[in-house]
Amino acid sequence: MILAELQGITKSYAGVPVLRGVDFAVRTGEIHALLGGNGAGKSTLMKILSGLVAPTAGQVLIGGRRLLSSQPQAAHASGLYLVPQETHLFAHRTVLENVAMGMPLPPRAYAARVAELARGLGVDLPLGARGATLEVADRQIVEILRGLLREARVLVFDEPTSALTPHEAGALFDRMRALREAGVGQVFISHKLHELRAVSDRITVLRDGMVVLSGPMARFSDESILAAMSPGLAAGAATRSVPPGGTGEALRLDGVSGEGFSDVSLALAPGEVLGLAGVVGAGRTELAETLVGLRPLAAGTVRLAGAPRPAAWSPRRAAEAGLVLLAEDRQRHGLFLEAANAVNLSSLMVHRLPLLLRPRREASRFEEYRRSLGIRCTGPWQAVGRLSGGNQQKVLLAKCLAVGPRVLILDEPTRGVDAAARQDIYGLIERLAASGTAVLLISSDFDEIVRLSHRIAVMAGGRLAGELPAGASPESIAALAFGAATAGRGVAAHV
Amino acid sequence: MFERLLRNRVLSLLLVAGGALAVLGLLAPGFLTAATLGSVWSSALVLLLLSLGLLPVLLTRNIDVSGGSMLGLSAAVLGLSLNAGLGLAPSIALGLLTGLGCGLLNGLLVVGLGVPSIVATLGTLGLYRGLMLIATGGRWIENLPQDLKALAARGALGISPLGLATIALAAGLALALATRRGQWVAAVGDNREAARHLGLPVRRIEALAFGWSGLCAAAAGLVYAAQIGFIPNQAGTGTELRAIAALVLGGVSLLGGSGTVAGAVVGVVFLTAVDTALVFLRVPAYWNDLIAGAVLLGVLLLDGRVRLALAARDRAARLRHGHAGRDGAR
Repeated sequence: MILAELQGITKSYAGVPVLRGVDFAVRTGEIHALLGGNGAGKSTLMKILSGLVAPTAGQVLIGGRRLLSSQPQAAHASGLYLVPQETHLFAHRTVLENVAMGMPLPPRAYAARVAELARGLGVDLPLGARGATLEVADRQIVEILRGLLREARVLVFDEPTSALTPHEAGALFDRMRALREAGVGQVFISHKLHELRAVSDRITVLRDGMVVLSGPMARFSDESILAAMSPGLAAGAATRSVPPGGTGEALRLDGVSGEGFSDVSLALAPGEVLGLAGVVGAGRTELAETLVGLRPLAAGTVRLAGAPRPAAWSPRRAAEAGLVLLAEDRQRHGLFLEAANAVNLSSLMVHRLPLLLRPRREASRFEEYRRSLGIRCTGPWQAVGRLSGGNQQKVLLAKCLAVGPRVLILDEPTRGVDAAARQDIYGLIERLAASGTAVLLISSDFDEIVRLSHRIAVMAGGRLAGELPAGASPESIAALAFGAATAGRGVAAHV
Repeated sequence: MFERLLRNRVLSLLLVAGGALAVLGLLAPGFLTAATLGSVWSSALVLLLLSLGLLPVLLTRNIDVSGGSMLGLSAAVLGLSLNAGLGLAPSIALGLLTGLGCGLLNGLLVVGLGVPSIVATLGTLGLYRGLMLIATGGRWIENLPQDLKALAARGALGISPLGLATIALAAGLALALATRRGQWVAAVGDNREAARHLGLPVRRIEALAFGWSGLCAAAAGLVYAAQIGFIPNQAGTGTELRAIAALVLGGVSLLGGSGTVAGAVVGVVFLTAVDTALVFLRVPAYWNDLIAGAVLLGVLLLDGRVRLALAARDRAARLRHGHAGRDGAR
């Protein structure tokens, strides 16, 4: 039985079509995978289904009845809930209030149920903690709990696993299977094909705002799905990068300690990609932010190309010295979402530009990167917040590259990015390394680490847990990342 | 214990205010009497009503700077009705309705037409004051009837009927904001997108907050007229900014989502107590603004420092928890 249906949905923003006549349906007891490339329109389609965005043409049917008003309340009343890709938390409210806000009873009535659902996901989340204090992964858990608590008949998950560990993702999939048994219809958006295959019954692939493939999951091979998503992509997969040719040290850390990590020693040669693996909370982001001067350095020495880091340090000085960080959370720390593409591009080097900016020079600089990185947008003056996740990430990368870094720290460079853009970014990282840039690659995706790194360091519980050579298996990385996390707990308990 | 005190803005401000009053009591014997405190309360009423009206608006991450003009216009409607021979109750009702209408118009501009609240209410700040001047011909309204003034006269416990009504209103607002639906008001200002995703009636909540602000401004106008017995054509001018200052003092965030009725009350009483104390210490009146401004800045700077330090401690604790708790859970 069809629970929710989209018929002939068309949506345009400022005359640019995002969706073109899309049909889509969710049935009872079915998990429907929705896949698509950069800006293919997946998120927009689901926002239309849940009443957050009004379609330009076409209609939304939930339980056979047409959804007239484009308001989330109407969709909720008909039993549909969307777990959005971007987390939206109430900073001043507790976790419990964040989850239960808008439910028919006061939050405390749901305390036991929310705690039970969280445990079911294998997460020990303090229900009294305020929203503002949560890290990315916990914020995502809160969004998921909101969806589970509402016991909707149709539940949409838009990239629910992008910040989760494999354990948590696995627990979520168990939960989704249980919901399927209970007859709930689910939509599952993810860029990770193996995740989609693990739970989905049916798949629909969008490309350029149109359905290019749809049917039972088992009927399609990975190759045919990837080919439908972006023709000409499947061929270039899994090429091992070359070992570094450069010598000397681009970056060296000796016994570096700071907020959230301690006693980290690493060396990085020009042209080398050093993978820094670990689970969320291992202290990698804190280390990266300390290196560029966003957090104070408590102990240890940092050398850039042999020269000790001066005491006065800031992201701008770091950039001048050739050290740049690509921030983990592009929405919160990476981009000025309301500002234009060209403005974002020059935001890290604006102090080098003339007092009066030359718009044409800015625009042409952006056009260079737009071509070389394949950024899809309407032009240099479009607000970066209007781009899709993958294209936003490319603009963020371009911003880092524009200052000509010799050491580039990439913190989760492909989070929330589709498979095609991911390939583009991998290619770019390889080209950068080949041209002599040293890259410190922070990622929780161990396949990604193995795919790109010349050497792999693993962090757990704020310490370096070990180092592995190129080609180490994702399992051996996971053993270090998770195994040492327990040891790290003993250490932390004494702090 | 000390840390809990520091974390609670209302309690710590109460402590500062109490300490300041105690020092004043020592410097100027006779200050700390029931009579002085009673006069602080009654001179705080107008500001308090305006602040209680503004609180929900700030909670939704909007602002309303037209409060002083709404106060003036509704007081003028009240005064003109009374002097035209209308009874006390219908005149008060007309005045309150005027305020409500003004507030809802603000809401319509912001919610319906999408005008940023600072722009919309700056516009109506002039508009409502202008309407008042046209209605009164620019003249003061005098000779208000005795039964209106009686509402502001001290009654039982040294509190006037209007004072009692204000206490009831504050308590009612505190209770309303604590309910399940009342929590939605702060939720809208905390994260509008989250509120939309969870299906809260965001626009209706915002519009109602503006309507409430107008209604409270009208009540402030009623108190103003009853207390001084006439209505000058600049009645209420500038009070809206003092109300914002009092709320900020009381820990209400201008960025929405955070603030309490208790904070609003303490902020207003503190600001008013400073004024009263200056009179008591025979400081020339033209010093008032300077000293009140310096006190406001001093408290906010100190509070900001304390809050930064607490946030740093929280962050450190979270990192420790992060390693011990989150990874350990796996």
